[in-house]
Amino acid sequence: MTYFIVRRAAGFLLTLFVVSIIVFTVMNVLPGDPALTILGIDATEDARAALRERLGLNDPVVLRYLRWAIAALQGDFGVSYSFGVPVAELVGERLPLTFALAIAGTIVTIATALFLGISAAARHGRSGDWAIMLFSQMGIAIPAFWLSMLLVLLFAVKLQWLPPGGFPGWDDPMAALRALVLPTVALALVQAAVLARVTRSAALEVMRQDFVRTAQATGFSPRRVLWGHVLPNALVPIVTIVGLQFASLVTGTIVIENVFYLPGLGRLLFQSIGNRDLITVQALVMLFSVFVVTANFIVDIAYVLIDPRLREGRA
Amino acid sequence: MIDLTDIHVDGPAGPLLRKTSLSLAAGERVGIVGESGSGKTLLALSMMGMVSDQLTVGGAISVEGRDMTNAVEADWRHLRARRLSMVFQEPMSALNPLRRVGDTVAAPLIRHQGYTREQARARALSLFEETGITDPERRLSQYPHQLSGGQRQRVLIALALACDPALLIADEPTSALDAEVALRITDLLVRLSRERNMALLFISHDLAAVSRTTERIIVMYGGDIMETGPTRAIMQAPHHPYTKGLLAARPKLWAPILSTHGKRRLPTIPGSVPPPQDLPRGCRFAGRCPVEMAHCATERPALIHTATGTAACHRQTADGAGGQS
Repeated sequence: MTYFIVRRAAGFLLTLFVVSIIVFTVMNVLPGDPALTILGIDATEDARAALRERLGLNDPVVLRYLRWAIAALQGDFGVSYSFGVPVAELVGERLPLTFALAIAGTIVTIATALFLGISAAARHGRSGDWAIMLFSQMGIAIPAFWLSMLLVLLFAVKLQWLPPGGFPGWDDPMAALRALVLPTVALALVQAAVLARVTRSAALEVMRQDFVRTAQATGFSPRRVLWGHVLPNALVPIVTIVGLQFASLVTGTIVIENVFYLPGLGRLLFQSIGNRDLITVQALVMLFSVFVVTANFIVDIAYVLIDPRLREGRA
Repeated sequence: MIDLTDIHVDGPAGPLLRKTSLSLAAGERVGIVGESGSGKTLLALSMMGMVSDQLTVGGAISVEGRDMTNAVEADWRHLRARRLSMVFQEPMSALNPLRRVGDTVAAPLIRHQGYTREQARARALSLFEETGITDPERRLSQYPHQLSGGQRQRVLIALALACDPALLIADEPTSALDAEVALRITDLLVRLSRERNMALLFISHDLAAVSRTTERIIVMYGGDIMETGPTRAIMQAPHHPYTKGLLAARPKLWAPILSTHGKRRLPTIPGSVPPPQDLPRGCRFAGRCPVEMAHCATERPALIHTATGTAACHRQTADGAGGQS
């Protein structure tokens, strides 16, 4: 068990290292002169050359990578070319919002999908099953940005229950939560639709197994059998998909934050790309990668927590 | 303690279990013998109220004097939690792989009998001891994959005993086990039945295992009862041609076996069990029976009394002695 976790942790760190090299390389072969971005097109060539020298852009690429990586490990991502403030500061202001959105989206996705998937499996082949699967088929087919607009039209414009967009800050937690409801639903619904199908088929697979009949034969109610025996045994495929979906959720925040005018990392990334603010883009891409790799590390640990058979394995 | 009257199960393609009546007294050990598809598991499941809801069950059933004919699922659940238990064929897959076996056995005690966790654990330990699980203390916290097939089957028996059942149904409990382990499990079932005065319904395709275990045998074929009688009588003097075929098909160590070709061969019942919708309307065994008569395929023979039990064969009425094969 410990050995397994140590191995997975080593793999986790190695993945991050490789990702950092890829992100750095891609960002540095892209065309675009940071000096031009910072000084504008009216600056003299001499001034730009001096700035490039000061930023260390003329140093060998390995040295630049190491300088960036070591600084990043200490939380220093350099100074934004376009905003003129440290990238860490820009990120720090926006991280809580995106993080809250991604976590809330994941929780809503899992809760909705498990409920719908297990309910559908319990009604296998009957009308409830069909209704849930039809609903999930629609959820898969509808693009998130369009769903966002529909949600805004209904709940913000027509019913006026929730704000249409923007974010009031964390000072008023109720207002902050209200601002996050529609973005969370828009973000989670598509993922929940996909995960509900996975849950349903995983649960049906488990329901065919003998231990389910054993549990029934010892007098347990269908509900207890479903949630106590079927669901835990269906979790391995479910958790795998959740790990993959987390990447979609994180990238989904980029679209959703733009639709709902939320000042999060996704919106910052969008602005930075528009501004050719490569150093900020580089930091953000790295940060999103860290989220996804971490999520997958957690999924790997979750496997062994779920299934004792994987604990002593060589896996 | 359990009485079934004219129980029958119908599937979408026709009857799967024909009208069958059966009673078990407290502490009685009865065997059901038959090939796969003979309806023996269906009969057992109907005694547990666990027949799939895609099938329709008819007939009357009462358990310990309580009429369960029109019982709802909750009533059956109540009985399964307290009076009826079932052990299934596959010990490999019949235990939840994610749960420690001690927790699996403790769960119904906590849920149905109001035990605390500690009480349930102590009871599970004593059930493990009673069912002959080696090193029971350590086993409690092990997972199914860490146990051998025989140990797992013992855990399942311990689980079945947890509710102090009046009837234990064992559906092919030894078929997936090594011969020696299988012997120990059948002996364990007999001992538990005696010590607890618990009725045992032992279901198997293996006549030898059933004859070791039971006092009375029911032979089934194609969803119908062929013959019933005391175990000893059935084994020594079967009346029904199907039972005779089954007995002849047992491997024997003590006699050379001669087929019609003069080679040493194991006799078999010719043909194979047809799918349920192709079974003959009369005697289910028609078409494979060596002593078949003209009306066998169209008229269902009634179960009539023989010298020792009952048999459903037109030969019984025709010549009074069963098929002379």
